[in-house]
Amino acid sequence: MADDVTQPRIGVDEWVSSVEEKRERYRGPIGWLRRGWDSSPPAARLLVFVVPAVIFPFVTSEGNLFRYGLITLLYALLGLGLNVTVGFAGLLDLGYIAFFGIGAYTYGYVASTHANHHWPAELAIPLAIAVAGLVGFIVGFPSRRLVGDYLAIVTLFFGQAFVVFVNNADRINFWPFNHTDLTGGANGLDNIDPLNVFGWKVNTTKEYYLFTLGAFLLVMILLYFVSGSRTGRAWKALREDPLAAEVMSMPVNKLKLMAFTFGAGIAGFAGAIYGSVQTGAFPGDYDIGLLITIYAIVILGGAGSLAGVIVGALIVNGVPELLRDSNQAEWVFYTVVAILVITKVRPWQKLVTVIGGTIALGFALHAIADAWFPRWTAGEANAGRLAHWVSHWMVLPSHPTQLANWAYVLTIALILVLTLLHGWWRTIVMIPTIYVGAFAWENLLVENTVGATRFLLLGALLVVLMNARPQGLFGSARVEIV
Amino acid sequence: MRRRATAIAALLGLAALASVAAASATVDRAAAPSAAASADSQLISCGKTVTMGMLAPITGPAASLGKLQTDWAKFYLAAHNKNPKNKHKLRIQYGDTVLGGPGGTAEAVKAAQSLGSNVLSTIGPAGSNEVRATTPTLKNAGFGFVSGSATNTELTTDGTRTNYFFRTVPPDSAQGTSVANFINKKLKFKRVYIIDDQEAYSTGLADTVQQKLRAAGVTVTRDGVSQQQSDFSSLIAKIPRDTQLVYIPWQLPPKGKAFGDQMRAAGKGSVVLMGSDGLFDDAFAALGGVYASSFPTSGSHPVVKAFKKAHGGNPEFFGAPSYVAAQVVGGAIDRACKDGKASRAEVRAQIRKTNLKNTVLGLNVRFNAQGDIRGGQFGIWKATAGGTFLPVG
Amino acid sequence: MNWSLFWDLTVSGLTLGSVYALVALGYSMVYGILKLLNFAHGDVYMIGAFMGWFALHWLGGPINPSAAAWLVVVLMFLFAMVACGGLGVVIERFAYRPLRNAPRIAPLISALGVSFFLQNSALLLFGASFRDYDTFHLIGAKTYNVGDVFLSVPQLLTIVSAIGLMIGLTLLVARTKIGKAMRATSFDREAASMMGIDVDRVIASTFFIGSALAGAAGVMFALVFGQIYHFMGFLAGLKGFTAAVIGGIGSLPGAMLGGLLVGLAESYATGYLPQGSTFQNLYVFALLIAIIIIRPQGLLGKPDVNKV
Repeated sequence: MADDVTQPRIGVDEWVSSVEEKRERYRGPIGWLRRGWDSSPPAARLLVFVVPAVIFPFVTSEGNLFRYGLITLLYALLGLGLNVTVGFAGLLDLGYIAFFGIGAYTYGYVASTHANHHWPAELAIPLAIAVAGLVGFIVGFPSRRLVGDYLAIVTLFFGQAFVVFVNNADRINFWPFNHTDLTGGANGLDNIDPLNVFGWKVNTTKEYYLFTLGAFLLVMILLYFVSGSRTGRAWKALREDPLAAEVMSMPVNKLKLMAFTFGAGIAGFAGAIYGSVQTGAFPGDYDIGLLITIYAIVILGGAGSLAGVIVGALIVNGVPELLRDSNQAEWVFYTVVAILVITKVRPWQKLVTVIGGTIALGFALHAIADAWFPRWTAGEANAGRLAHWVSHWMVLPSHPTQLANWAYVLTIALILVLTLLHGWWRTIVMIPTIYVGAFAWENLLVENTVGATRFLLLGALLVVLMNARPQGLFGSARVEIV
Repeated sequence: MRRRATAIAALLGLAALASVAAASATVDRAAAPSAAASADSQLISCGKTVTMGMLAPITGPAASLGKLQTDWAKFYLAAHNKNPKNKHKLRIQYGDTVLGGPGGTAEAVKAAQSLGSNVLSTIGPAGSNEVRATTPTLKNAGFGFVSGSATNTELTTDGTRTNYFFRTVPPDSAQGTSVANFINKKLKFKRVYIIDDQEAYSTGLADTVQQKLRAAGVTVTRDGVSQQQSDFSSLIAKIPRDTQLVYIPWQLPPKGKAFGDQMRAAGKGSVVLMGSDGLFDDAFAALGGVYASSFPTSGSHPVVKAFKKAHGGNPEFFGAPSYVAAQVVGGAIDRACKDGKASRAEVRAQIRKTNLKNTVLGLNVRFNAQGDIRGGQFGIWKATAGGTFLPVG
Repeated sequence: MNWSLFWDLTVSGLTLGSVYALVALGYSMVYGILKLLNFAHGDVYMIGAFMGWFALHWLGGPINPSAAAWLVVVLMFLFAMVACGGLGVVIERFAYRPLRNAPRIAPLISALGVSFFLQNSALLLFGASFRDYDTFHLIGAKTYNVGDVFLSVPQLLTIVSAIGLMIGLTLLVARTKIGKAMRATSFDREAASMMGIDVDRVIASTFFIGSALAGAAGVMFALVFGQIYHFMGFLAGLKGFTAAVIGGIGSLPGAMLGGLLVGLAESYATGYLPQGSTFQNLYVFALLIAIIIIRPQGLLGKPDVNKV
């Protein structure tokens, strides 16, 4: 990571072009918001997040609070820790999720019916943080000389070793631990106590949410100060160019070790909370799949950016949740398509052509199908307020599967072709693209929103967002002086 | 100075707007926030359609299992809704638990949290660890939940879920005991190899069988594979030729078949292969001569026949307990809805009173105090050369 | 010394290793040219396996194929390779090309997005159930043996075709013009474009070839091990990546060696070590770490020269 910066394009002066970018940054309504954001003090920026976050539990249902609030916060907290290792110090740690697990298992061991310890949270959580940090130190120690991909492999090994260990540590049978069940094995460490903080027993979702919010804010403020401190600036120097940092007599190995340990500690904190939320620590929860998700959150938001982690977590966790319900997803689909078309198609003549053309095409095909192939409109639209309108506009065959599958593939092909076209050709091809896309949506995708559709749309969203802003939503584009 | 103040005011205004937008965008359309007590006893009027939930792995590595379970549950619902004697139609709200996926058990809890306030009861979740993770959510919401595949023994014996959790499949202790007894007493084998797939279901069964066999003086070697693995040739090479039986308590029949094929290809086809109820499937039976444990279901049961016909010939019994779970939940809802209104607590009480005769499982379904089927037991089946399972013990 | 066990383990190790080697080759080729770890590579492999299945069924199916078995298999390979090659080119064009000058970690997330997209599209279009190649009916279960060494037809087919593809690739890279262009581009992209090489086309060709190899690997795997499903790319991608790093990422002979080594290591670990199969991933990773410690650039990689 640290050794590879943006390749300069030949013939373009990067310094000059970055000036252009800075001027562009504050243009238009988005630019006005950006200017406000950039010039406001950090406390105000924090309030923009805190105020809605605090109001949230009191205005939504418990289910929504859990799905959109609590889990997002936990993932964001994990993202903060990863941000220290990857974003601040530039170390590619692929075993990070093991520290999450260590925090959960440690908390679970001392606060569950497993070994019958019932420590209160104010003792158990610091223990979890300490143990995770210690293991981070132990893992970081031999790895401090490794760089880039080689560090990645070693940490990946550690992560896999952790999962195999906790999966099998219920059958430990060698001296001096005879017949010990350390982690509950594949069944996990069960019946973890709810948090018991100085006597306050946290057991409703709202209380968990507020506790986690407090923890998150604490870590965030801590990291904000750390990032401005000597260590933080040293980490950033390490990230940008480790060789130069070393030449500048920075203790590179010590810094790496500190970044590792710090990140691990934060992950341990998140793990302790997560373990008590789930009332159990299960091996499958701390595997490479979640690691990749947290990486996506951090990089999508912009590596090194604290605000970005929140937005990243909201997108990666919130989008699949939003699409779970097919009625909601239906609205989201048509709203998003409408917004995309309205904002991207200029001037207004082309916009009218596209919208008018799509609607007309829909009704025309529906009329033709009604008249000559009645089986093709015999199907039912998904229930919901849009259903009535959609069933008159869209062709809904009674057995759509094969056709819808091909329509889906065709939509993808058309979208890709669309990005290659320009001018009026683009406008014209947009009409069938939207129509076929809506056809695939109504006949195939919308029935599976609870399953495959929401993840596939998340994947597409990731591709689109990374292409739109390669440095991450809140990340800073790095300039190289040629 | 003024510009900064304006900017801050604008940001605060934006924040307020954002919070209002967030609130209105995510307010549950059906009802207001529900506290623990009221969700339990809140009366929902049973209109033309009543909703039940189903938590199953619709995506992720276990999607094939989820499909089997949802297919069988849908089949029950179709039959129920066609029956003119039923006053209410049933519909299912699905929750995707992504068993074995990247989000881990958190996905299952999110799925449980997504069940709307008009849902009266739930089928699932499928995995034993998922049951553990979702217990607080489902209990707080007052749901009775009936799983068709969570077989871990402790789920009903540790007391945390009594009267909330039920299962239409006998636990690992029953299955493990039947299997161990069969191997030891019927087949009288002395050298057994046990291979688990590292998942909770598998290791639980493997542990039980291993323990019981070792106690009976049988030589047991134990190893494991990953559930994602399809290449077993090196492990097979290691299995000594004088092994009499290999026990593979796995969940995915295609993997069981692959294992059997590779055993034969390695010339170890004479070693007896035995699977658990997860492998009680035509795909595994196609090997011929293999054993599997399963509930005493029967291919001639009318429902099985109808399912076979509707699904192109393949009954795939893994989902059958989900059919019974749907039967249990649907029946409880029907009974609770007799007076036009039902609450989740009522439905739970009705589940407790379930009394089904001659179900697809070949068992009568009545629940004991812990939530298990009374007298639920597993039988051992052997596949004929033609690939059909016949009961042998 | 139980020789028959040893040969059995070696054969299964080589078979699986050949599959890993082909996947690793795709990783190494793309990394060599773009310094990008293509997360979606495992899913291209999965699509290859499905394309092979479709080809098989459009040609009549395993029990009653409309052509000779060997011809059906060749056509399956060709179809899967071409389809996956095309898919790879499309992925490169739309997910990676715009990010060519971006920080190196951005295309990783784009690749992750593509991976989610492919996996779940496969789930949506092909369904959740496993599909079987039914090699038993298509090719049969004949086993050849030389002394203690037993090889089944699918295993032999896998090893031989993998070797063939690897030889073909080496010749392509060493002898043809496009191969020379690939080597030049991976050495220094700017200089290559200044020398008149169409970098975009070279990169597209690299992706085509790498993805075609992954597709072939998918078909091979399915022929030997039978079952395909939408999630099968995850493990193969991980193992392929490990193999590429062991052999020295960016080096083609390294990827081949690394793949075979990983396959053999897994096999021997399972066969000889206690509870070997449960912990086989760990043993492979331990081997990987040992190699990295001794030779940080991988077995056949070039040492990283750090210019100040």
